[in-house]
Amino acid sequence: MPVVKVLTEGIGEANLRDIATYEERGGYVQLRRAFAEMSQRDVLDLCDASGLRGRGGAGFPTGRKWSFLPGNDKPRYLVCNCDEAEPGTFKDHMLIEETPHLVLEGMLLGAYGIGSHHAFIYIRGEFKRGYEIFSEAVRQARAAGYIGKNLFGTGYDLEVTVHRGAGAYICGEETALLNSLEGKRGEPRLKPPFPAVAGLYGMPTVVNNVETLAYLVPILKRGSQWFASVGTERSKGYKIVSISGHVRKPGNYEVPLGTPVRELLEIAGGLRPGRTLAAIQPGGGSSACIFEEQLDLPYDYESLAKAGTMLGSGAVVVMDDTTDFVKAAYNLVRFYAHESCGQCTPCREGGHWLETVLERFVHGRGLQSDIEMLHKVSAEITGLNLCPLGDSIEPFLASVLKRFPEQFEARVLKETVPA
Amino acid sequence: MSEGFRALLEELRPRCVEIVAQYEDSRSALLPLTHLFQERQGFVSRDAMRAVAEMLALSPAVVESTVSFYTLFFRRPVGKYVLQVCRGLACTINGAEEIMAHLRERLGIGHLETTADGLFSYEEVECLAACDRASCMQVNLEFVYHLTPQGIDDMLAAMRGGTYATAPMAQTQVPARTWTVVQDAQVSHGTKSAGAQGQSHPNNASGLGDRSGVVMLDRIVANEGLFRGRTLERLANAEPTLPKIVDEEAEAAR
Repeated sequence: MPVVKVLTEGIGEANLRDIATYEERGGYVQLRRAFAEMSQRDVLDLCDASGLRGRGGAGFPTGRKWSFLPGNDKPRYLVCNCDEAEPGTFKDHMLIEETPHLVLEGMLLGAYGIGSHHAFIYIRGEFKRGYEIFSEAVRQARAAGYIGKNLFGTGYDLEVTVHRGAGAYICGEETALLNSLEGKRGEPRLKPPFPAVAGLYGMPTVVNNVETLAYLVPILKRGSQWFASVGTERSKGYKIVSISGHVRKPGNYEVPLGTPVRELLEIAGGLRPGRTLAAIQPGGGSSACIFEEQLDLPYDYESLAKAGTMLGSGAVVVMDDTTDFVKAAYNLVRFYAHESCGQCTPCREGGHWLETVLERFVHGRGLQSDIEMLHKVSAEITGLNLCPLGDSIEPFLASVLKRFPEQFEARVLKETVPA
Repeated sequence: MSEGFRALLEELRPRCVEIVAQYEDSRSALLPLTHLFQERQGFVSRDAMRAVAEMLALSPAVVESTVSFYTLFFRRPVGKYVLQVCRGLACTINGAEEIMAHLRERLGIGHLETTADGLFSYEEVECLAACDRASCMQVNLEFVYHLTPQGIDDMLAAMRGGTYATAPMAQTQVPARTWTVVQDAQVSHGTKSAGAQGQSHPNNASGLGDRSGVVMLDRIVANEGLFRGRTLERLANAEPTLPKIVDEEAEAAR
């Protein structure tokens, strides 16, 4: 079994919320070392060499993202994205609650690496407990001298602000998050300019996921080669995979990228007795399903993209043969329709209409012509919006429509079809 | 601005100043300040929005527009216990529908409603990021995992008896049946026609909100004569007949 404990090390064994415990286990050593021995350029190079890619969903190489920052004197910001709301994802929830100092150390390292003097963490509004735990971690770290003015006598000032959202999935999109952080409606911005050029308050900004920043700590500790030697050629290192649905032991499991999906299923205890697999959603609500015959796919960015789906945030939802895919499709479409910010017409109207049509199917009142309409409308939403939310509607719907057409056909209202 | 609110504002002002000082731009404090007032008042009152606007040098309209974007801000009073059940996919395939039906039955209210005694508000919310402990819910934003009908009954009894672990929310005003603004239009005017936009109700597909046409289709099937010659024909013949559009200028030129 390839389960490892890198970020998850010590979770469930020690009270990592307490800074003394965290320090006993080697916490904040890397931060001290970075300030004492490494230049900002060294941190960036290390991050680049490790091949670390964004763990929030898009999988963009982190070092490259940092390198887009312009070389000017404007203040720069690091924003840690903890607006975790992708259906099926629950890794950041665990990280900030169980090991907040690791996340914080990663944030401080990231901020130092990009030359930022003010780092923010945007925590989803529902994580009230997580917000309190993380705020306490920040207080402890400030008292210990890891946050504040003139860190370790180097003259480097670094401030951290913990910011809480108020219930909006769209704020996980980085420009929507920045708008929300600026006290505005969480509506995505038109890109370019990308946040690296004009982000928070119009200044150069890097937005990184919680897990991405947390990985900086072990990478600094064990070197970029250690991280880069794991995984596949282009998907390097480890990933926390959130496995849920119809499995016997749902939970967060940290594995090397490239682990076959079949093994992930085994790690999570397999299916319940007497059930057979129907579909797996490998990368959160926005990803197309994979099926029984694709179980040997390696779980990495490229292999899943080649199979027409994606790794996304690493949320694996397993569905067995008891699943009603009409209801599942309705559920996810309703989610996107509800969470659409409403700026772009295809997403706002399209999502709403798909929800309406699928609601008919759920009640067994679909029309024959609706099936084609579902395909058509979902395809027409895709690619026409400011952000990827609208594009997220089609993959799951299209994949289950194709795989389980009989479930939809069975809900067509036969009486309206002339004999 | 009421007398009570003025006192609250004076009490919270030092904390507000601290919050605003955390940001380079004061407007960033909009969400944290709103959270602060909601925690004390149980909802975001008009007074609170006006106070936030004043502190941040914004128009109250800007504050209300922003606040209205976020589902965790209640712009009308809610119950002392806000029960938010996850309706995400992982919870749904692990029995959330039965849990929701049980809760609705026990509370006697539906989605986005508050009980008459003002104790409970009920909402079905999107994925709460606790799929490994499905099905789950939040009570005043504290998680409750692995829900069962028996667990729900015990929880409600503890809340009614005042022994529940999570503290009730502040309640400074008596809540109405719902806190959503869309439905207020109907409550105050009562003029919207059946099936009008915004009247849909997920728990009552046969009520006013026949958004997807389920009830209409049922009526057609049950009572053919009523609609013969019009709707039924239209439904049966997917190809609509549209008038031909003639480009008169082009015709004339030819």
